[in-house]
Amino acid sequence: MTVDASVFFIARLVVSSVIALVIATLYSLVLPGIERKIQARIQQRVGPPILMPGFWSVIKFTYKSKTEPIAQMPRLYKFLIGFGIGVVSLLLLFNTPYWWFVLGWGSILGIAGMLKLEEVLYVFMGSQSQSVLSTSMPVPDTVKGSKWPDIRREFNEQHSAERALKMMLIGSLPLYLALIVPFLVARSVNISAVVFAQNPAYYPFTSWLSFSLPTNPVLFTVPGFIAAIVYFLGFVIILNEKPFSILKAKVDLIEGGVLEYAANLRAGYYVMRNLLMFALSSMFVTLFLGIPFDPFMPAMLLLNMVLSLILPIALSVLVAFSPIFTFRQIYPTAIGLSALGVLAMILAVSI
Amino acid sequence: MTETSNEKVIEKELSFGPVHPALIEPYRIRLFVNDEIVEDCEININMAYRGIEKLLDGIPVEKALIITERICGICSHVHAWNSVRVIEGGLGIEVPERANYIRVLTQEFQRITSHLIFFGHAFEVIGHETLSMRAFLLREQFMDLLQYLGGNRVMPSVPIIGGIRPRADLTESLKKTILDRCDAFEDKYANYVQRVLDDPLVISRINGIGLLTKEDAIKYHATGPTGRASGWRYDLRADMNEYKPFDFNIIVLDGCDTKDRVVDRALEVVESLKIIRQIVKNIPEGPVVNRNWVAKEMPFTTAYSESYRGELMHTYGLDHQGLVRNYQVRTPTITNLAAMEHACIGDHVTEAILTIASCDPCLTCCTRAEVVESGKSRTMTDYEIVRKYGWRR
Repeated sequence: MTVDASVFFIARLVVSSVIALVIATLYSLVLPGIERKIQARIQQRVGPPILMPGFWSVIKFTYKSKTEPIAQMPRLYKFLIGFGIGVVSLLLLFNTPYWWFVLGWGSILGIAGMLKLEEVLYVFMGSQSQSVLSTSMPVPDTVKGSKWPDIRREFNEQHSAERALKMMLIGSLPLYLALIVPFLVARSVNISAVVFAQNPAYYPFTSWLSFSLPTNPVLFTVPGFIAAIVYFLGFVIILNEKPFSILKAKVDLIEGGVLEYAANLRAGYYVMRNLLMFALSSMFVTLFLGIPFDPFMPAMLLLNMVLSLILPIALSVLVAFSPIFTFRQIYPTAIGLSALGVLAMILAVSI
Repeated sequence: MTETSNEKVIEKELSFGPVHPALIEPYRIRLFVNDEIVEDCEININMAYRGIEKLLDGIPVEKALIITERICGICSHVHAWNSVRVIEGGLGIEVPERANYIRVLTQEFQRITSHLIFFGHAFEVIGHETLSMRAFLLREQFMDLLQYLGGNRVMPSVPIIGGIRPRADLTESLKKTILDRCDAFEDKYANYVQRVLDDPLVISRINGIGLLTKEDAIKYHATGPTGRASGWRYDLRADMNEYKPFDFNIIVLDGCDTKDRVVDRALEVVESLKIIRQIVKNIPEGPVVNRNWVAKEMPFTTAYSESYRGELMHTYGLDHQGLVRNYQVRTPTITNLAAMEHACIGDHVTEAILTIASCDPCLTCCTRAEVVESGKSRTMTDYEIVRKYGWRR
């Protein structure tokens, strides 16, 4: 590649990234509203206006008065939100064609790496946060005559960090197994190969108006279909949504490690969470249907965004009909899903 | 990590409340856990003392009844009713039969609304919002009926000394409305319960947790549906004269777990519907209130009633002017919670909160006095309060 070509590539990479991030962020802020509206209709309620839970709440939180977290290292605790948004943004950008050719990041390794970083965030957040809502509540617990006077007292958020660690080890395994399947079908670790295998007519960097539909999407194969089911449940697990929201179970741990994020930090957390939801949904469309999130091909971009609604809609239905699982249910479910993921992998290798 | 003589190893303590978004009332739960397993539990309920007994002391008995109804917003009628039963028993006041029928009718209306609130809360704790919302939707039918009967959804104020308020008398059109509502409710309710029992996800959350054996239920005096779900056949309605004319079953289950505490209440709603229909069909004609009584000196008298959560006790005396003296109330939550402290041992942390909620606690109703002096707090008995602060004049 000549110097001019490199500069041109970098310029297009930057422009496509900015366009992709702006569109994805704005779009992802609509998803919680759709989610809440569907749940409300299932529950025979009117529900909030579509823009309220995502878009307007983020704007509202940005101008709320700021409160300093009581975390052990407040600056690190606050930094984690920015770091999380960065990680999720990169995950999203791996759906765009220009990033497929940057340092080999546009591969299963890049996706898995970013997802693991995102999971680790909750361990850090939980171990840092020390809200007043548990141990430091001014209640005379440790009076003379207390049942267990010298016991180690743990903050709820720290318990959430322990749960996050367990979910990292076992809970999120199905998602990674399901992610491997399209790569196995394409016999490559690169996202570009996965997309080209499903959508041979697609070629990035061509005209703005070009458009191609996939001819043989992975989703419509037996291993792809099984993997898609596993991917969906893995998507729910990694988003910490019901029934797998044990690390922020409202009934005990309230919000888990993110409890102390208020005002602009809370807005940042919502952006991170919504962007992750869209990134994973968009990733599903890219890997299982062969339709990438290409900012320079509006038709492909639009199709990706529309099809990206499949997972959030399915999620909202699942959330409406599910209780929160404890580890009694999560372990067997994760093991079963992992077995299904392995089956999909074996089938993918054999076709 | 702490080890004691009984070789119970505790890794750490987790504490929740009294300020906590998931707790509907202020109380503090301390769970002593190993990883996720609860090894011991301590519940502190003294967070919101309202001084009801002190308020009641020294006021005319008729006025006192207005306050007793406000002890609880969910079981307002049973407090008002049991309060008048004390003086009716103490002074031997005759209550017309028609009035008793209407008192029981109101009681069963509220039992249904109370159990449906329980479902709403329990499923909220499980995390199943849809089932929770549906429970509140179903409850509206009977909240309306309470309003039609007493004029108010939450405080219907039906019982007065010697009978009921005349405005709460049953009319023919109201009888028809009640029967129609019961029919409409029964179908929807049956579907709702069936859906809960057929849902494997919900059942997996409530089955086999919060075990409370019959012996423990008796030991801790876990009354109401909490005790009956542990196989203890204890329902004061079986002995109350007011319930003698009605045919109904006492629901006793022997699963001893959270699932049975839910199912017991679900089946009790069906029995309440049965009682309501019998009342509407068989209510006798006649007066609804007996006004031939005078408040006079009355020795301390006690009345027990089967409220929606279990055994309720009211006791007080009247002085020579007919003023209330030394009013005491014991609500079922106080003993049920003690049982739940024991029952949640062995559960996961998230399940333990559900187990505690499964006795349908009503904290503010059961909280007695707490005095804070010089930064040290201690609980006072009613006797101590009377000795320290004297009678209200």
